Amino acid sequence: MKPPAFKYYAPSSVEEALALLAEHGYDAKILAGGQSLIPTMNFRLAQPGVLVDLNRVSELAFIRPADDGGLLIGAMTRHVQVETSDLVAQRLPLLHETMPFIAHPQIRNRGTYGGSISHADPAAELPAITVTHRGKIHLRSTRGSRWVDADDFFVGLFTTALEPDEMVVEIALPPLPPRTGWAFDEFSRRHGDFALVGVAAAVTLDPAGAVEDARLVFMGVGDRPMKGDTAVALLRGQVPSADLIEEAATRAAQEDIDPFGDVHASAAFRRHLAAVLAKRVLTRAVERANR
Amino acid sequence: MRAIGSSIPRVDAWKKVTGEALYPGDIEMPGMLHMKVLFAHRPHARIVHIDTSKAEAADGVVAVFTAKDVPVNEYGLLIRDQPVLCGPGSDKEGADIVRFVGDQVALVVAETAEQAQAALDLIDVTYEDLPVVSSVEEALAPDAPRVHAHRENNVLQAYRIRRGDIEEGFAQADVIVEETFRTGFQEHAYLQPEAGVAYVDEEGRVVVITAGQWTHEDREQIAHALGLPEDRVVVRYAAIGGAFGGREDMSVQIILALAAWHLHKRGIDRPVKIVWTREESIIGHHKRHAMVARARWGARRDGTLVAVQVDLTLDAGAYAYTSTKVLGNATLACVGPYEVPNVWVDTRAVYTNNLPSGAFRGFGGPQGHFVAENMMNRLAEALNMDPVELRMRNVLREGSLLPTQAPVPPGCTMPQVLERLALEAGWTWDAERGWQAPPPPEPTPPAPRPGLAALEATSPRRLRGRGLAIAYKNVGFSYGFVDECHATVELHGGAEIERVVVRHAGADVGQGAHTVMAQFAAEALDVPLERITLIVSHTAETDNSGSSSASRMTFMAGNAIKRAAEEALRLWREEEARPAVAHYRYIPRPTTPYDPETGRADPNITYGYVGQVAEVEVDPETGHVYLTRVITVDDVGRAVNPQQVEGQIEGAIAQAFGWTVMEDFQVEGGRVLTDRLSTYLIPTVQDVPEEMRSIIMEFPDPQGPYGARGMGEMPFIPLPPAIIAAVRQATGVWFNEIPLTPERVWRALQEKGTE
Repeated sequence: MKPPAFKYYAPSSVEEALALLAEHGYDAKILAGGQSLIPTMNFRLAQPGVLVDLNRVSELAFIRPADDGGLLIGAMTRHVQVETSDLVAQRLPLLHETMPFIAHPQIRNRGTYGGSISHADPAAELPAITVTHRGKIHLRSTRGSRWVDADDFFVGLFTTALEPDEMVVEIALPPLPPRTGWAFDEFSRRHGDFALVGVAAAVTLDPAGAVEDARLVFMGVGDRPMKGDTAVALLRGQVPSADLIEEAATRAAQEDIDPFGDVHASAAFRRHLAAVLAKRVLTRAVERANR
Repeated sequence: MRAIGSSIPRVDAWKKVTGEALYPGDIEMPGMLHMKVLFAHRPHARIVHIDTSKAEAADGVVAVFTAKDVPVNEYGLLIRDQPVLCGPGSDKEGADIVRFVGDQVALVVAETAEQAQAALDLIDVTYEDLPVVSSVEEALAPDAPRVHAHRENNVLQAYRIRRGDIEEGFAQADVIVEETFRTGFQEHAYLQPEAGVAYVDEEGRVVVITAGQWTHEDREQIAHALGLPEDRVVVRYAAIGGAFGGREDMSVQIILALAAWHLHKRGIDRPVKIVWTREESIIGHHKRHAMVARARWGARRDGTLVAVQVDLTLDAGAYAYTSTKVLGNATLACVGPYEVPNVWVDTRAVYTNNLPSGAFRGFGGPQGHFVAENMMNRLAEALNMDPVELRMRNVLREGSLLPTQAPVPPGCTMPQVLERLALEAGWTWDAERGWQAPPPPEPTPPAPRPGLAALEATSPRRLRGRGLAIAYKNVGFSYGFVDECHATVELHGGAEIERVVVRHAGADVGQGAHTVMAQFAAEALDVPLERITLIVSHTAETDNSGSSSASRMTFMAGNAIKRAAEEALRLWREEEARPAVAHYRYIPRPTTPYDPETGRADPNITYGYVGQVAEVEVDPETGHVYLTRVITVDDVGRAVNPQQVEGQIEGAIAQAFGWTVMEDFQVEGGRVLTDRLSTYLIPTVQDVPEEMRSIIMEFPDPQGPYGARGMGEMPFIPLPPAIIAAVRQATGVWFNEIPLTPERVWRALQEKGTE
């Protein structure tokens, strides 16, 4: 199918785009990479009256070093740019490791960081990674500008803290602290499909080898990126062993997530996969932290 | 350069790559109208009343058709048991019943497809739901509701084979293995959903341009339903985007013709076009039959098979389609390519309210061999004997008797194929111990992901295993069907042959049949390929070729074209007339149907022989089965175009891997849960094995043109049981049911762990 008729604007600056959003509000949708919005419109699941196309707003496509050692990533930065960026590889290895898992190369050529997090698909990689990094998201409207913690940005299924006249302009991702290991893994029945479950981990060890801090974030098993706080509580202050990691992973998969069942897998199997993947990424993260 | 045996580029390649080739959905004609179908979307119900008045009055709607508009409201390739349109008002008894979700109830023709779609919602249909027969078990229950009320029960067809004395056979057996197997439905998932255009031409003929597998059969079924003589109907094929058996039965052909014909009679001479969505395609055409089978096989300590007993049931779904023939193939295939003195087989195809099942690459062969080859691998284990050694002691050879007690046709190379496969896969032979398998592959850590450092230390080891299976597949129509294939060859020119016109109806469904036809003509006439012009897939221009199915088109068309060309060449040399024109009707050797009591038959014209070794990796924690390597040995008789042969082999392996591991067609109470390609997963190029080693053998078939056998189906058949054996070696678990979804594998490994 093709989408119903809509008005189309292609602003060339953030100011122009914000003015259009202020004018059209709820009626408007932002077109970034279009990898989710266009299919949704073609299926007529979304029928926006106005499209504001950001593809000519070149000022939103950037990857810049931040003073804290992390990066600032513009909302219109394509996945492929993040995937192939040396800055990302050096400063944000967890993000670098995760990028190839996102769908297929064709999608990564078009899809954008800002588009992915604004869409807030709970099964997508970048929302989970942004939460794992304790990132901050810069929102702007004609009314002003604000920074929102990733934790507060993802509100629910395809729902964010964005107001109708607001848009994401950049994402700040702080670096992982020293002595921190990281890992990401996901499981899908077929290459490139939405994962049944994905998990990101970052573990910081103190000089004695005990867990100073840990982060564990699940995707695909709740209405937004789900934090494995039960696991983190079990790990903190402990010298991680294989048994402890297994217990932490299993407990988090029992208590911190809310998987659903469908034709691809039952909820119980998704929970099992979440435990397996959590164990794997925590183990890998601890190993890397120890190097 | 000889034409036969060279991988010349396909004659259709350039136009397909540039987009110049038109598939049915691409065809646009002036003044064209658009049609949409109202599907029943319920598995079993009586239609009490249909009110189309609101739809008829809707914007842009030109006409609405229902059962009352179908002159002869029945069709079917073998048995005319399906209404063209379900509902009251036609002469056909029982046509007011819908028997599966894809039964068609009404047609809306409008100025635009959107208007037609919108008007569907305005058709008011009053249904009275009937009890749903959702499985073969329910269908065979003594008090089961009948899917076709006029039939005594839900059994569409049953066959049996009785050879020797089965009880005596089991008495001689040192080892007896008994198992129950289940295989699932499979969707063809061709790239191009059903589509077509129909109009009435200046000669008053209904012309249907679509994609199918057998133009003349489409024409016959259209003519029957419209109550027209066949010469008033023309069927032409546009470029065809895959078929795999899924276009063997009618989808849009009759309804397109019906709409164009009625509009013409109302004075509206405008073409009508239809394009099905993927969801419509998936519920609108048949599937591979789901199977349940119980098997009991006995062998002597030395490996001699002495008794084979199989009870096999196929879910035919709501209508017959080609179920009786698929069942016939499965009945033979479930004994495997072996000579067995005592055989007792009972099979049946059963009506249910599921989607109809029908032709799909392998045509009963995959289900039958799933039983036979799993049983052989289990017997090998029970006998503590190498699976190659066990097979070598029983395999069909030149002169062997089939289970139906006819000799296997000359050119049986099952032993040669098996031997080559074993050697290629690392087996050894010595006189003392016979065949010995190579050591099982060691578990390995998973390959590093792109962009990742190797993480051997933390990643669980993947279990690895290797499995083997063999198969044979009939070439051509079977069991007494009088198969035929026509070809006409015209030689134009003066002193030398300047241009050759080959007329042939055969469908190129994407496998390259038309390229092969040109190669046969070029070879027989010894002219360059550039001089060959094909006139193909057009009922008004060509004679009946039979279907592009049953691995038969290369074999049948080759025989017809070769002989027509030879005759044309004789005329060219001996007579003055130009062009020199010859027509040939190739009829292969006759076959015979199953005897109803004993199953005695000379079932098939000839066979192709194949064997495969599969290597898998299994992640024991997630249950994911990765097919990493396949070695496939196919005796194709003569590879007319080796590149196309390899394409068929690799495509078949991908499709068979899908059926075995990934593709999970789910139906609940007759309703399809997986009606789109996001819920029904087929393998992508990233999921198929990295290494597929094709060894093409060329033992000429005495009946084949230049020795060629058909080969399009057979590489599908051994892979599923080979994967099962590989997973067994990897995990220690035998699976009797496919697909091997991660969840099913994980659960089975859990059970094994807790035993």
